[in-house]
Amino acid sequence: MTNIAIEGLSLSLGTFALDNVEVALDGGQILVVLGPNGSGKSVLLETIAGFHRPDAGRILIRGIDVTRLPPERRRVAFVVQNFGLFPHLTVEQNVRLALGPHAKDKRSGVLSPLAGDAAALLSYFGVSHLAARTPGRLSPGEKQRVALARALAANPDLFLFDEPFSALDSQTREQLRDDLLSLLRRICLPAIFVTHDHTDALTLADRVLVLRHGKTVQVGTADDVYRRPSDAFVARFSGVENILTGRTGAAQGNRLPVAVGDIVLQAVKPSSPPGAEVQVCIRAEEVRLHDARSAQDSEWRENRFTASVANIRRMGAVVRVELEGPCRLACCLLTPQLQEMRLERGSSVEVSIAAEALHLIPA
Amino acid sequence: MANRAQHGWWRSAAPSHPTTVFLLLWLLGSLLLAFVLIPLLVLAGTPSLSGLIDAARMPDVRDSILLSLEAACLSAILTALFGVPLAYVLARTRFVGRGIISAIVDLPLAVPHTVAGIALLMVFGRQGILGEPLQALAGLKFWGTLAGVVVAMMFVSAPYTVNAARVGFEGVDLQLEKIARTLGLGPWRTFWKITLPLARRGIFTGMMLTFARSISEFGAVVILVYYPKTAPVEIYELFLRVNLQQAVAAAVLLLAVSLGLFVLLRFVAHNPDLRESR
Repeated sequence: MTNIAIEGLSLSLGTFALDNVEVALDGGQILVVLGPNGSGKSVLLETIAGFHRPDAGRILIRGIDVTRLPPERRRVAFVVQNFGLFPHLTVEQNVRLALGPHAKDKRSGVLSPLAGDAAALLSYFGVSHLAARTPGRLSPGEKQRVALARALAANPDLFLFDEPFSALDSQTREQLRDDLLSLLRRICLPAIFVTHDHTDALTLADRVLVLRHGKTVQVGTADDVYRRPSDAFVARFSGVENILTGRTGAAQGNRLPVAVGDIVLQAVKPSSPPGAEVQVCIRAEEVRLHDARSAQDSEWRENRFTASVANIRRMGAVVRVELEGPCRLACCLLTPQLQEMRLERGSSVEVSIAAEALHLIPA
Repeated sequence: MANRAQHGWWRSAAPSHPTTVFLLLWLLGSLLLAFVLIPLLVLAGTPSLSGLIDAARMPDVRDSILLSLEAACLSAILTALFGVPLAYVLARTRFVGRGIISAIVDLPLAVPHTVAGIALLMVFGRQGILGEPLQALAGLKFWGTLAGVVVAMMFVSAPYTVNAARVGFEGVDLQLEKIARTLGLGPWRTFWKITLPLARRGIFTGMMLTFARSISEFGAVVILVYYPKTAPVEIYELFLRVNLQQAVAAAVLLLAVSLGLFVLLRFVAHNPDLRESR
């Protein structure tokens, strides 16, 4: 049964707008709404929470139409940047404040013994020892746990996260993401997580919705968005480094030739008519470089050509190599690989790309 | 060498500037500090202890100081009662004419206080457009009464409460109010439980400023009310009719009382237990 359904949601709000957004979400699923600043993703979340009235569409939570209910009656938990703990209250008071009329309603699963009990909630999240502290001096991880305990005190049917990690350094971010994921998996409530960080999307999402100017550009699994972006915008946004313009030729077997720059690359045959202009997406890590030893491997015969190294950019664990040749390509290597291959600016290198790595988007 | 400055009693908040620049700034600033402190210290050191005790024993002086405190207290409370809602509206809504409303709030700061007193007299005086009907209908008199003193004080000191409370409300993160709503608190409970407590420092600062400004008011009070005499009026009268010596003694008493209260209130406001920790 569908737990959360958003049907044809439209809204215009100053410079922000939502246009016919559709979402369906089951219990325990995490939907990540991915979009750049100004795409309307926060407005979507605030509309679901009840802070904006949509011009059209419905919001159903557990089958109940909440479109016209005020936020306090929707039973959604809202978690924001820095977690929004009330600074003038202790951790325990923060949780107690949320013990409202629904606090003691029956719940399912791991949550049933926690109903209406602030102390039990704090201990479930391992933060009992912080009960008397004010939020000011908590670590981000502690804040996140207190925020979840507080949100659950009100017995929500849906979790909404509005870029909770955006003010954190990448290391803390990673820890909190893991922590959040395992807690959400245990709690088994549906969650909508808004972010502009595609790593958040890849690690958290059961499904991803990419939003641009208030319109849904793509819905799918994180892998879909990562490997098969529906257009050049999604491709760029999910970090595809090589987006080349090409023209398809006549399909042969299950291979489709695509002319890119001065070379014809083989792609896996999609349903594209010959002679069509396409955009070819190739992720930087799918571009393989070979030294003389592996040059004989028959395995890597497809889409093989020689290019020269135009630039090398070291980024710690990985290295970005920019290639010039029949077409310009960026390629991503692990640092030890670069050292093994003794690549430097101007060196000549063998390149191969698996046909499966070419993703074609109609231009 | 630059490090030494960071560890000692002197810490530069803007390390990009060389210390010599700060020395110059300090020199200019300390002139202003001296200008404020020297007259007050000279005044405080002038009367003898017995002179002060004598002044404190004068019923007129005592009554006037008590009246000043009472009226200033009422002025601060009433201003908060009407000014805090206005501050909230100004902080949280955008509407046409908002700029004009905030200009009206600030207006008393620009009106000379004798002018304010005369304007108030035309409204709250014996023949004033409100003074006359209010006395006839409710028996409320603004001449020669505490009510008149409070009205005069409120007029000149209300901007402080409205502006400080507004800054206080503007400093409350809107996201916190939104979260409170999703946690099941209605708009009123959100205001009482979240917004108001988080803005209370601003409100309290505003009330303190209104209180202090009310105590010091002379011009508007003397024109609208005169009797009963507030402390500034009493001091002025002693200065005119008796002698400088008694005026000085009464002035030092008023200074001691209002500074004492000021320090006490500041202490309360800065007590970490009563202040939200960030």
